[in-house]
Amino acid sequence: MPELTIAVAKGRLQDEALALLAAAGAGVSSQDLSSRRLAMEDESGRYRFIFVKPADVPVYVEHGIADCGVVGRDVLLESGSDLLQPLTLEIGRCRIVVAARNGVSLNDFGMLRVATKYPCIAAAHFGTRGRPVEIIELSGSVELAPGLGLADCIVDLVESGRTLRENGLKEVEVIDESTGRLVVNRASYQLKAKPIARLIGALSNRIEGA
Amino acid sequence: MDQTESLSKIPAGMRYYFGPEARLRRTVEETGMSIFDGWSYEEITTPTIDHYSLFEHGMGRAEAQRAFRFTDTDGRLLALRLDVTSAAARAAATLFAERERPLRLCYAAPVFRQQPQSHAEWRRESTQIGCELIGANTRVADLEVLVIASEFLRRLDLDGNYAITLNDVGIFNGVAERLRLDPTSREEMRQLIDVRNAADLERFLTPYTSAEEAQAFAQLTQLAGKRESLDLARSVISNEQSRAALDRLESLWNVIESLGLTGCFEIDLGDVARLDYYTGLTFKIYVKGAGYRVGSGGRYDDLTASFGKAEPAVGFVLDLDALTDVVHLHTADVSATLASQAEPPELTANDSEEEPPGDSRDPSKNPSEVFIEALKRRAKGERVSLKLGR
Repeated sequence: MPELTIAVAKGRLQDEALALLAAAGAGVSSQDLSSRRLAMEDESGRYRFIFVKPADVPVYVEHGIADCGVVGRDVLLESGSDLLQPLTLEIGRCRIVVAARNGVSLNDFGMLRVATKYPCIAAAHFGTRGRPVEIIELSGSVELAPGLGLADCIVDLVESGRTLRENGLKEVEVIDESTGRLVVNRASYQLKAKPIARLIGALSNRIEGA
Repeated sequence: MDQTESLSKIPAGMRYYFGPEARLRRTVEETGMSIFDGWSYEEITTPTIDHYSLFEHGMGRAEAQRAFRFTDTDGRLLALRLDVTSAAARAAATLFAERERPLRLCYAAPVFRQQPQSHAEWRRESTQIGCELIGANTRVADLEVLVIASEFLRRLDLDGNYAITLNDVGIFNGVAERLRLDPTSREEMRQLIDVRNAADLERFLTPYTSAEEAQAFAQLTQLAGKRESLDLARSVISNEQSRAALDRLESLWNVIESLGLTGCFEIDLGDVARLDYYTGLTFKIYVKGAGYRVGSGGRYDDLTASFGKAEPAVGFVLDLDALTDVVHLHTADVSATLASQAEPPELTANDSEEEPPGDSRDPSKNPSEVFIEALKRRAKGERVSLKLGR
């Protein structure tokens, strides 16, 4: 019986997260990795990994189904989940930005139409600045929206900025930085204190050592 | 519009209880209330509908805003009960102002929140079971409620799968004061401690103090442990207010140790929720099987003052519904036993006026005879179940 269940966000962060976990003594065999199973144990049998969509990581951890999770800060900001965040993992570094078409000044709008996958972050950002916005929630290819006239600007995650450039957009403002985070369920933190402290210790040694 | 659909829906965050689960919930409630009674706590029922301003004073604005609100005939804002403590504190300062102290009150009552507390706590109606000890500011009073809470959890047969974590708000407040933090930075520090983000906390502290001290303090908030947490805290924190709070915690811990209860208690200096509400000891209750905390409590010496009579108070509250869920999980056999209670014998009753005349009538099953038999069995405390026909 594994001591801890760890939810790992599939996609962008997954490979880096697994490499970091493996370096911290929670490695999954390559045979398991190449399988299509969504739940597996690590080689020591101490940890069980589940692979879920990034937005579902906070859900599993908040309900205590997973004790810990690895997920980007962007997802945590968007979900507003009540989770412990003991470690910033130096993986998947990127920025959450406002971007608009080249040559467009956002100050010229009485109301901004904002296309985004992050409606809560976008609403909070413009809300604190007192700017009226219409949030248009999309699930992908957000960079298309300004060019096609669906929105005046976008709020999105940017790593290199290449996608923005190739779609005729430029970064207007950085809302926040985002990196991978280790999140922990509040009850697990107390009731499984020892294995969690061990995992945090092993991961932070790796991060400092890197 | 399809009317059957809208009539069959129930609002988000609401649910039914029935069968074994309802019985189990009743058992858990009775267990708690009998423990409170055993410690001489008197039951109080507070109004289901109360003035919104009560909760604003009693819980703070941010908490109160989660209430279901509506207006009275005179336009005053009302709310569905959001907690029991606020009204109990008001009663203590008014209705019970002349009563001898200490005042011991207990309750089990539904509370309503328009916004659920978190994604995991989806209920908008939940039942709070708890107690308040008003008019005593002593170590013994703090211990009394801690011992009651641990007795409650012990009696639920959870196999030790629970933890009560202790802290004292004086520790955080002392540090915040020594660093001369303005309210915004103070809240920022509180949030960093609350999510146990040691790295960012260390960065936050660096402009205020030596790097060494910042690192040591940041590590401190990640620790949940026993007595050693206090020793570690002393080696890092030197201001007077925090020291006094650490002394208070230690003297509680000494007694807990002498009672042999350390197994279910932890010291968690990173618990900094609702600092504006509590004034000394704070504690949280976690049970394996529930992803969120099922109870909390502490000392709130400033609360009754807002109702006109300042006096010390300490208490705690548990979420009865969350507890029921957990007990349900931990003791699957308990519900099985409850469900398998012997089926009562069925007594057949025929209503002669509806029954077609003829051979099917059995004179021995005349209604009054059936009820005579049923009442006899009831007098002996037996369960009966009448067969009624359709």
